Amino acid sequence: MTKPIEIRDLAKHFRSGFLIREIRALESVSLDVNQGEVFGFLGPNGAGKTTTIKILMGLTRPSEGTATVLGESPSSARVKRRLGFLPEQPYFYDYLSAREILELNARLCGITGREMKQRVDLMLQTVGLTGSQHGRLGKYSRGMLQRVGVAQALLHDPELVILDEPMGGLDPIGRKEFRDIILSLRDRHKTVFFSTHILQDVEMVCDRVAIVVAGRTVSIGRLDEIVSTRLDTIELTMRNVPLPMLQASDIAGMRIMQREDKLLVTVDSEEAADKVLKVLAQNHGQLVAMIPRTHTLEDFFMTQVRAQKPQ
Amino acid sequence: MRIIAIAGNTFREALRDKVLLALIVIAVLVTAAAKIVPPLAVGEGAKIVKDLGLATMTLFCVLIAILVGGRLIYKEVEKRTILTLLAKPVRRWEFVLGKYCGLMLVLIISVALMTLWFTLFLLLTHVPLDIRLLLPIAMLVLELAIVTAVSTLFSTFTTPISSTVFAALTYLAGNMSRDLLALAAMNKSLLVKVLARFSYYLLPNFRNLDFRALVIHNQLLDPNQVLWAIAYSAIYITALLLIAILIFQRRNF
Repeated sequence: MTKPIEIRDLAKHFRSGFLIREIRALESVSLDVNQGEVFGFLGPNGAGKTTTIKILMGLTRPSEGTATVLGESPSSARVKRRLGFLPEQPYFYDYLSAREILELNARLCGITGREMKQRVDLMLQTVGLTGSQHGRLGKYSRGMLQRVGVAQALLHDPELVILDEPMGGLDPIGRKEFRDIILSLRDRHKTVFFSTHILQDVEMVCDRVAIVVAGRTVSIGRLDEIVSTRLDTIELTMRNVPLPMLQASDIAGMRIMQREDKLLVTVDSEEAADKVLKVLAQNHGQLVAMIPRTHTLEDFFMTQVRAQKPQ
Repeated sequence: MRIIAIAGNTFREALRDKVLLALIVIAVLVTAAAKIVPPLAVGEGAKIVKDLGLATMTLFCVLIAILVGGRLIYKEVEKRTILTLLAKPVRRWEFVLGKYCGLMLVLIISVALMTLWFTLFLLLTHVPLDIRLLLPIAMLVLELAIVTAVSTLFSTFTTPISSTVFAALTYLAGNMSRDLLALAAMNKSLLVKVLARFSYYLLPNFRNLDFRALVIHNQLLDPNQVLWAIAYSAIYITALLLIAILIFQRRNF
């Protein structure tokens, strides 16, 4: 079965400046996106996320490698009827209203007449712009423009939705609403591919993620494999346990910090935590808190990014 | 449908262009000023009014084509509105044609408005109307179609300033190409002769579309000349737009 997105060894080099300096925006990006999943495309600034997305949308040609969307070349106008795209910081004609820009986009997708009116009404309602649909886009706030962007991306009911930094510049309410839209798309068996560097949003909605650093994919995997099963550390906060008693227990990998009348003990395993609790019990100490710290997506992301930095 | 949608939006956008509005207003004022030009001889007044009216329409419509056309595609790229447009099932050639047709619609309406004003002015100044004046006006539309195609071509790959300069130079050179060829024929250098001939065939020859003098001075018109002017324009416009499309197909955004 054809996957919605297939990328193999994608590279993109630009020539820039008077001395024709070569800029290597992408070195080697490879990934697949499965039907019906929400796929997060992560990376630090300048990693090549937007360049990859532009290649997927046929806006830029790759220097090397291949990319297909819904089994076709990204430059195919036919496949774009089945794609929805929201660029980073979308720009629209500021003399048009929200309704007018959606109607223009509908016509470009071959949607006219009553169907156009119905879809535009639905999209305006979905993104909460029914009340301001006749206002000029030049007067819209950043958040309102983002909503218009979402509306034009989903207007023609695409199978695959590609979003470039969709939640940048949105307030917490806007980000929550956006996450809900993404989840509703998944419920409707649409495929969503979005780039971001806001990891909390990725943890809440994505099924799989890929991390790209300096133009290369460095990791691809299911979010639940990356995040949930790895226990990083356990932090125990306790009182009335003499510090020398704890130090004498010689538990491997234990780190102790004293704060006023409390000891903050960090260990690397459940076995080590058991030993600390035994020392606590022997000294009739008081356990204030015990917090297991799992390996977060941020930890994983930072590890991958640091690993790619030149020594 | 897509070309029409893009053309309609381009038309709407161009109507809001302050340069366009200013040029139309100035054209109207300059046409009215023709009345204060004293005739050189008895009976020459009507010819002066007609000539000046047609020349004014030509000048200002060409300026609109060059100044507005030069920003046509560049503005979409600069403002990044092209990203959402090309993400839709729009072929790049449809985009170029749509932008071209949108500006041509603006120019045709500008010519129509100026023609109405010109006709009213002729009536007010008691200059007899001549249906044959419609021929140079129709040829003006073809001339504008070529100039707009030149502007559109440059707009696909260069900045508005460069596009304006190149389009203006092309227009000037296109009006002088026969004179340049004649001058080159008097030059002894073979290189000059070859360059002049090359430029003559490469550049659009707007003299082929100029029937103003024939109409104003009531000279005989050869229908074959008119047909040749139409065919020449059609071939030239097609070639320019094809090149524009080829360049635009290769662009990265």
